[in-house]
Amino acid sequence: MSPKQPALARALSDGDDQLVSADEALANLQLRCGGEMPGTIAVPALLEAVRKARRYQLKLARAITAQAGDESVIAWIEVEPRQDGEQGCEIVLRNWQTQALPPENLDATQVLRAGINRHLAELTAVLDARQNVLAVDAEAPDLQELVGAMTAGLGQDWTQFVEIEGGSHRKPMHWRLLDGATLRVSGSERSWRASLYPRAAPGAAPDGFDLCLTSDEPLPESASEPETEGDEESDAQANRRLIGRDVAPALRLPIARIIANAETIRTRLAGPLAAEYADYAADIAAAGQHLLALLDDLADLEVVEAEEFKTAPDRIDLADVARRAAGILGVRAREQGIVVDPPRAGESLPAVAEFRRVLQVLLNLLGNAIRYSPANSQVWIRIEADGDRARVIVADQGPGLAAEQQARVFEKFERLGRSGDGGSGLGLYISRRLARAMGGELRVESAPGQGARFILDLPADLKARADLP
Amino acid sequence: MMDSAAQSPSANGVEALLREELAAGDAAAENVSPILRHLLDNGANSMFSDAIISGVRGMLSDLARQLLDARARFSGEVERVDHPAEHLNALADALSASPALLGHLHALACEWQLTQQLHARLALDPVLSPLLQAQMASPDPETASLAMKLLAAQARYCQEQRRMQLALTELPGDLLHGVLVAMRTLAGVEDDAQAAAAEAAIRLEFHEARTRLGLAARLIAGMGGAALSALSISHSGTALFLSALALASGQDRVVAVMSINETQLARLALALRASGLKQLAVEEQFLALHPDIALPEHFEQVSPDHAAALLAAAGPLAGG
Repeated sequence: MSPKQPALARALSDGDDQLVSADEALANLQLRCGGEMPGTIAVPALLEAVRKARRYQLKLARAITAQAGDESVIAWIEVEPRQDGEQGCEIVLRNWQTQALPPENLDATQVLRAGINRHLAELTAVLDARQNVLAVDAEAPDLQELVGAMTAGLGQDWTQFVEIEGGSHRKPMHWRLLDGATLRVSGSERSWRASLYPRAAPGAAPDGFDLCLTSDEPLPESASEPETEGDEESDAQANRRLIGRDVAPALRLPIARIIANAETIRTRLAGPLAAEYADYAADIAAAGQHLLALLDDLADLEVVEAEEFKTAPDRIDLADVARRAAGILGVRAREQGIVVDPPRAGESLPAVAEFRRVLQVLLNLLGNAIRYSPANSQVWIRIEADGDRARVIVADQGPGLAAEQQARVFEKFERLGRSGDGGSGLGLYISRRLARAMGGELRVESAPGQGARFILDLPADLKARADLP
Repeated sequence: MMDSAAQSPSANGVEALLREELAAGDAAAENVSPILRHLLDNGANSMFSDAIISGVRGMLSDLARQLLDARARFSGEVERVDHPAEHLNALADALSASPALLGHLHALACEWQLTQQLHARLALDPVLSPLLQAQMASPDPETASLAMKLLAAQARYCQEQRRMQLALTELPGDLLHGVLVAMRTLAGVEDDAQAAAAEAAIRLEFHEARTRLGLAARLIAGMGGAALSALSISHSGTALFLSALALASGQDRVVAVMSINETQLARLALALRASGLKQLAVEEQFLALHPDIALPEHFEQVSPDHAAALLAAAGPLAGG
């Protein structure tokens, strides 16, 4: 036996040739070659060696080469079947050399890339020398709107049918600036990339272009599948699903665009602007945000009101959920000078409920508390075990609620006379529906001027509680 | 009537059998003269020279002997026994059924032939090349010790080749596995347990990293960018040159060895080019290996990538 030689890195594989643990160098190589940790060995030559060593029960040693990003790696690897009684192998990296891959031949690469782009293009159009559309063709359903618009507007500049991201909108743009530009297309949620191929004798000015639109994203499934289930649903149910399924996705994109553009104006990215106009833009952005939140709420509303709505109860720790909610909204609270006091680390209260839904309820309660509390006040989140119930209490130092308000606060679209603060009047209604769907309850205790205590009551996880130290 | 009806099919059967045998015999007879002419026609550089055929045969029976030895060791017999010739031949026969093993042994014999030729023609030492010497003097103790081990392994290889032998544990892992499977298949029921014990012992003893080819490949792999300098046969010696050529051109080492043969000039030129050598350097190697051959003009216009693609498209050498 030779003396043990130094190893740069070691790794272990299992009976399925998955890398289960690895020192940094080998883990890195695995990730850079497109693998996962843990996951099947990504370097083909290494996988082959490991598979053979495991099957043959032989100690193998190989020089392996791998392409990791823009480097080529030559590594000397020794693979031994594991001695610890487990299936799989121990992999030892003895040495390792990297070489930058030779630079690609740019001309050849461009020809290849052009070929690929043309092959994969989902929309192709023929343009004249001034980039006006002469003919257009596309098969993807989400591009039909664009094809229709272009066909109706033959002879016009193609850029006016799409929205060019980051474009200066000074037209006509030089084709080299448009080549490779990212586009938004009305009717498609996907992001598109334009490629322009001039048709010209070398050296001459182009007498026309081929335009190709490609996208890195596949067509969303919902858009490509014809909806057949609609026939079986009753009209009422179909209507109830209307927003979440049909309206929200369609509205989200234009609203997001409004917000983005308003933000651009507000931050004066597009040039100097009087302060009032910047403020208006801020209002537009805020209103857009509100609309988005409302859409989310409406979609949730449909979900919780559906007859078949069920939650997926799990064993969760309410103290943990409460701490997470506090963490998520901590920044917003600090901006308003409000201190959130969550359950301390180490506290624990097992309950049976769906983690995601409880977090949603707590975020709603905590968000309300932050929104309606005066500056420099405090919000407490407390947990409480009571027999077979587990409780989370969110208490604030806000104005409080009168008895008559407490009765109405959980109603749909109830705003208690408030407006313009970004609320939809749906949050508490949805939260209570969620609480009840999980076999719990959401109620409020308050008096005017005394702050409010919202109490989320859920089934306790008695078994887990008994196991607690 | 009944009898003749029963006899005639079996008589037909015998006739058919004899007819088949005759046809096979005719076919064999037809092949005698081209094969014989081929064998006679070949000079000392042939892939099928007498020395090489004998070497392959010798290595096969040496491997078979070691397998039987290993089995004997576990049956409580004396350390060294003379195995019955029929056992030895049966096992060697079974081993020769593996094209991969045959290709490997053939490549070893060809490599040895080349080593001897270069020793005679260029005074290139079969064991110690300038490159190996430099690596042994490396300030990096690991490299130096690796080079020392390779030196020992190479010396052992030369000695074995002179004796037409090959140590079982010098085989690449894949081939050793095949050999062990062949032994298991041939082992009779009564010595099943011995065969299994012998097999386990061999598997445990084997370490591919300590074989001559393993050490050579590791030394080359450890040189990184400098590995290109190993693609000079007068600098590296035959063994390291062939390992470097295999690694750099992405070919199996058996194929790299075969590409030295004078019927494989294009493959050698392309392999050197695919490894990244410039025309001048390729010409130098040709001068050493095939002094009477000139490269085609404009050879340099074949890019390394293209050379590799041509090699890949041609596929591995048949019988490799």
